[in-house]
Amino acid sequence: MENKMLRKISFLTVLLALVMTACAPQASPLAAPAATVPSAAITLIDGLGRSVVMNEPAKRVVSLAPSNTEILYAVGAVEQVIGRDEFSDYPEEAKALPSVGGSMGEYSVETIVSLNPDLVLAAEINSPELVKQLEDLGLTVYYLKNPTTLEEMYLNLEIVAQLTGEDPTKLTDSLKARVDEVDQKIAPLSARPAVFYEIDATDAAKPYTYGPGTFGDLLIARAGGFNIGNELTDPYPQISLEQIVVSNPSIILLGDSMWGMTAEAVAARPGWETIEAVKSNQIFPIDDNLISRPGPRLVDGLEQLAKLLHPGVFP
Amino acid sequence: MWGRIAIRPHETMKSKPFLSSFLLLLIAFILSLAIGSVFISPKELWNILRGAGDETFVFIIWQIRLPRTILIALTGAALSGSGAAYQGLFRNPLADPFLIGVASGAGLGAVIAMSIKWPYSFWGLMAIPMAAFITALLTVFIVYFLARVGQTIPTTNLILAGVAFSSFATSLTSFLMLRSTSEVRRALGWLLGGASQAGWTAILAILPYLIIGLGILLISGHALNLLQFGDDQAQQLGLNVTRIKTILLIAASLATAAAVAFSGIIGFIGLIVPHLIRLWLGPDYRRLLPLSILGGASALLVSDILARIVLAPQEIPVGIITALVGAPFFLWVLRRAKNQGYW
Repeated sequence: MENKMLRKISFLTVLLALVMTACAPQASPLAAPAATVPSAAITLIDGLGRSVVMNEPAKRVVSLAPSNTEILYAVGAVEQVIGRDEFSDYPEEAKALPSVGGSMGEYSVETIVSLNPDLVLAAEINSPELVKQLEDLGLTVYYLKNPTTLEEMYLNLEIVAQLTGEDPTKLTDSLKARVDEVDQKIAPLSARPAVFYEIDATDAAKPYTYGPGTFGDLLIARAGGFNIGNELTDPYPQISLEQIVVSNPSIILLGDSMWGMTAEAVAARPGWETIEAVKSNQIFPIDDNLISRPGPRLVDGLEQLAKLLHPGVFP
Repeated sequence: MWGRIAIRPHETMKSKPFLSSFLLLLIAFILSLAIGSVFISPKELWNILRGAGDETFVFIIWQIRLPRTILIALTGAALSGSGAAYQGLFRNPLADPFLIGVASGAGLGAVIAMSIKWPYSFWGLMAIPMAAFITALLTVFIVYFLARVGQTIPTTNLILAGVAFSSFATSLTSFLMLRSTSEVRRALGWLLGGASQAGWTAILAILPYLIIGLGILLISGHALNLLQFGDDQAQQLGLNVTRIKTILLIAASLATAAAVAFSGIIGFIGLIVPHLIRLWLGPDYRRLLPLSILGGASALLVSDILARIVLAPQEIPVGIITALVGAPFFLWVLRRAKNQGYW
């Protein structure tokens, strides 16, 4: 009897699974229908390959990432930003905006909805599930893909400017000019100092650093240095102290200075005294937000790096 | 065997346990609709429930809070109901829905799915819950067959195989998380009990499994009571022990895996709620199972309310709350009971 029951159960499971998958795609009866507008002013493909359509530039924007907030302010969409994620702390005035949360991937969707935005600017730190949920609720969401080069970052500025009806030319021109200046000063130099960039050294025997494909790696190279993390494979690898000693960097940059790391603390670490940068006291704090956030302040980061790496050419 | 009833709450509560559980669930349900990071006054809520009220608030209630509340209630019911069943099945008070690998299996599947860039489409978005669901059930089956000795499944074998295989799956999960650094936040959030998908889709997707799983558990109260005498005795009393154990295992795992697939891994509810009900009313599974299902729904709703407000507008994974608040509460009740005989 129970054997029959077992078979019945498995049959029912399969049947219901089929029913479930068959009806699930249409299963959001309450979701607002996507309006198709014949002559939309703005149509852009976002980082998830979604087509984002807007009749007019956004007037009420909620930013879901610190980099997005910085981009919005930089392109001049100051009036349009009405909400930000919990970690958006730049520029200072952004902190006055209502926060919509954001930690462990958890945002307060109802706060986002209550702000009544006509555009939600998401970034790669946001999950596609969140985008889907906001989209199902009838919100317009643009998912801004992380740039991998400075040129792609300029493109992102142009996209955000277009979404908010701003003109980015002045901003991008000045950024490009500043990068050019660094390039020109670096080009004739033959010295490429080896740099160790510390993101986190909770475990000082294998601190985290920037690997290939990150802006940390890219900016150090562009500022005329050689990132020793470049020899590893992961983008945010843990590098062993042995590896650091062998690479023997002549400069150590403390991206974790905002968490209280100091040159003295680094020098006091057992086993670090043999490293060239420690011997010659070339250990400098740096604002990691300028290196890690894919926004216009990357250029500030580049200039600071160039100054630290080649103080002779950058007065 | 049946233990003494340990604590003596209000008499009506004990004489009408179902009524009070329903009332508790109703209150938790309404509170869950009322409380959130956006403040909606009771008066406004009353207006909305009657079909009026501010447009934005109406939208928030019906399209954000209601589906979330239902999903959370279903998840709590599934975890607690299957927790009670696992404890009876293994005759082990430490058994919880995750004991034989559902959580670690689901976690592994989810993290594998997260490490792949899926296209932004319905099926791409379903990849994570589906992978979690499939690997959870797969783990249970692997554990089941590893533990099987001839025609019997010795409980100790099952628990040991479950724990060992879980450790294996968990270490693989950690390794994958380290490799795909960019997904760590998302994976961590999921592993601590954060929803991978919200809205009505998730509810429709898990409902069939919960109906089957919890439905079978609900009619198995008598069998679970017999199992408490031990496998041999239960067999002598006319129960096909291996068969019924298999069915219960499938039913409980099905309900848990479905809930976990969409709600992430939420610990402790499946352990604490059935025990509270045992302390309250004794271990008769014919009452324990339905009351655990009702109580689990209420308990997870209350935890979720807390998860929404402690750091508002930030929301924290509900799994943190269930353990953080649940464990001390449970210990307090256990201490007050001063009675080791309830189990």
